Amino acid sequence: MSSSKVNIDEIKKNINKKSGDWIKVGMSTCGIAAGADKVLEKFQEEKERRNLDIRLEKCGCAGMCYAEPLVEIRVKGMPQVVYGKVDAKVVVEIIDRHVLRKQLLDDHIYNIKVQ
Amino acid sequence: MKIILIKDTGPTEKTKIIYDLFNALLRDAGMHADYQVVRAADIGIYGKGVVVKIFPGDIVYQNVQEDDVNNIIDTTLKQNKPIKDLRLDFQNKQIRIVLRNCGVIDPEKIDDYIGQDGYQGIKKVLQKFDPEKVIDEMKTSGLRGRGGGGFPTWMKWNFARGVEMDQKYIICNADEGDPGAYMDRSVLEGDPHSVLEGMMIAGYTVGASKGYLYIRAEYPLAIERCQKAIDQARVYGFLGENILGCGFNFDLDIRLGAGAFVCGEETALIASIEGKRGCPQPRPPYPSIKGLWGKPTVINNVETLANVPVILHKGGAWFSKIGSETSKGTKVFALTGKVQNSSLIEVPMGITLREIVFDIGGGVLDNKKIKAIQTGGPSGGVVPEDLFDTPVDYENLLKLGSIMGSGGMIVMDEDDCMIDISKFYLGFCVEESCGKCAPCRIGGTQLLNILTDISEGKATMSDLDRLTKISSAMQKASLCGLGQSAANPVLSTLKFFKKEYHGHIVEKTCQAGKCSGLFKYEIIQKKCKRCGLCQRNCPVGAIPGDKDKGYLIEQEKCIRCGRCFDVCKFEAVAR
Ligand SMILES: Cc1cc2nc3c(=O)[nH]c(=O)nc-3n(C[C@H](O)[C@H](O)[C@H](O)COP(=O)(O)O)c2cc1C
Ligand code: SF4
Ligand code: FES
Repeated sequence: MSSSKVNIDEIKKNINKKSGDWIKVGMSTCGIAAGADKVLEKFQEEKERRNLDIRLEKCGCAGMCYAEPLVEIRVKGMPQVVYGKVDAKVVVEIIDRHVLRKQLLDDHIYNIKVQ
Repeated sequence: MKIILIKDTGPTEKTKIIYDLFNALLRDAGMHADYQVVRAADIGIYGKGVVVKIFPGDIVYQNVQEDDVNNIIDTTLKQNKPIKDLRLDFQNKQIRIVLRNCGVIDPEKIDDYIGQDGYQGIKKVLQKFDPEKVIDEMKTSGLRGRGGGGFPTWMKWNFARGVEMDQKYIICNADEGDPGAYMDRSVLEGDPHSVLEGMMIAGYTVGASKGYLYIRAEYPLAIERCQKAIDQARVYGFLGENILGCGFNFDLDIRLGAGAFVCGEETALIASIEGKRGCPQPRPPYPSIKGLWGKPTVINNVETLANVPVILHKGGAWFSKIGSETSKGTKVFALTGKVQNSSLIEVPMGITLREIVFDIGGGVLDNKKIKAIQTGGPSGGVVPEDLFDTPVDYENLLKLGSIMGSGGMIVMDEDDCMIDISKFYLGFCVEESCGKCAPCRIGGTQLLNILTDISEGKATMSDLDRLTKISSAMQKASLCGLGQSAANPVLSTLKFFKKEYHGHIVEKTCQAGKCSGLFKYEIIQKKCKRCGLCQRNCPVGAIPGDKDKGYLIEQEKCIRCGRCFDVCKFEAVAR
């Protein structure tokens, strides 16, 4: 029997080793309809403008349709938070407050995971 | 980091008051630098007054009043002791199996999926299980089809496995045509690899080397992401020949559905892939014996397939611990309608409708009175509020005259008219009927005519008998599930809301104000404060008058939109 092209366990180990800060934007039909693509763009823009060391990622829909666009964020020293009803203005607030000053935003938290 | 998260979960609106109080008192105590006091938009708990969550420790307090704030600071924050009287034992009612990766991984990156135990199921199966063993695990799991019927998945696979044939097929049914349903779309968009892996496992088990994903063309993003997933899986050698070096060959292609509801029916779907008109065929033979191009074909729903990798990875016994006696695992529902949180939820089978609507959905919109919940879409029925404590599973819903269906769940309140609802669903089926068999084609139209008469106040009580007779003929004699179940919404509303039918037929009134011929809006002069809001809001100028003379609704002009009724702050508009 020939060996397979990739080693699943190796990939799994590597991907889960990835650390650092990230921001995920829910980019399914529902999210995009609510403006998630603009949110992602704005994050991209702010990230470049301020030279931030943070990974920007896309993900599917977490199910909270009533709160789209949804953004989940993990920043060192902060709990992992899901922000909802995010628009360009809130993006700037997330960067200014959550990412840079390590302060949670009022009125946009939909979920919070404290390790 | 220490956090105090605050949210008034109703009915008062005290979030801000308690928030300010915490900030002020923490400052007085010289502790405000240690804590972040935050207002949540949603705290996952509903109808429990002001909810305060304290991290770390995950302490949850409910019905917090102004007076309690000092106590919380003294007892919990300073002395680290919980306050029993305020404590809320809170458990998240959702369990994520199907949606395990949705919103977690990047669906366009196969490595992300692998990072979450993706492709571990197929790996285990190919390396350690023979097909019988897979069937055994599936049997132990108790997984039943999520496409509506609830047929045991292992049995379907076993039928196809039992037939000796040079070629067999696996089809994923992603036609999702029910109005109000988008569960499958979310899975395909959020975690396409889980469906691919499920199809691979099915393929190995029954001895199929080819699969098709039948996706409705209206789902471009789902199609795009599935295609990417297939391409990536091919590059990784998970699709193609000699998969994982285990000698198993399997490949997948996408076929597009043109958006006809009936094409979601398995035999019609198969005809459509074969390039024929999407018309249902009589069964038996069932597709698992004689399906696509006459070959044994397993056809499973998206959600069914997304469960499969987890079952094989974690074991059938693990899966069967979740759910009710007859229905194992979870179900994804698209909860919509007059509910606070329109959302995609995944709950264990056996949860009650009340928990779904109130604990997860956050209750009814605008404090209206809840009337019923519709499950199963055009093939389903309504469950009235007094039966909301029924645990949700295949059998229970069937007993109530509804069905599990694919997972649409629509909450209805006092403004929803049951005749109007039946008309909507029946109209949908009449529109979507392929017309091949008479009971569905003719019966459906007849039913719709009667319902229309009822909604216009032109029916008589004897029409109700005709409704039941035609319905039962359609159930018995229609060729496919569409016609067999099209009358379900009618029968079910008739069963639980006969009074509404009577109201329309005898008193010629529509309490919900939906059947526009059967009610009117009028201004109750005694209650009217002459604010003029109704006049300004009427889109057709049907409310003449002024602040001195008062206002009147001109019935000839009124289009019964209900704007005046909604905007009047003094309840001076009657329906
Ligand atoms: C009119 C009609 C429409 C249907 N539409 C769908 C659909 O959109 N998706 C689906 O999975 N099953 C649909 N079904 C059920 C399929 O015929 C079939 O039972 C199902 O795909 C089997 O998968 P399961 O065993 O995994 O549930 C439909 C049935 C009927 C009668
Ligand atoms: S029941 Fe209706 S949809 Fe089904 S085959 Fe007959 S006419 Fe066509
Ligand atoms: S479908 Fe994405 S949040 Fe509802």
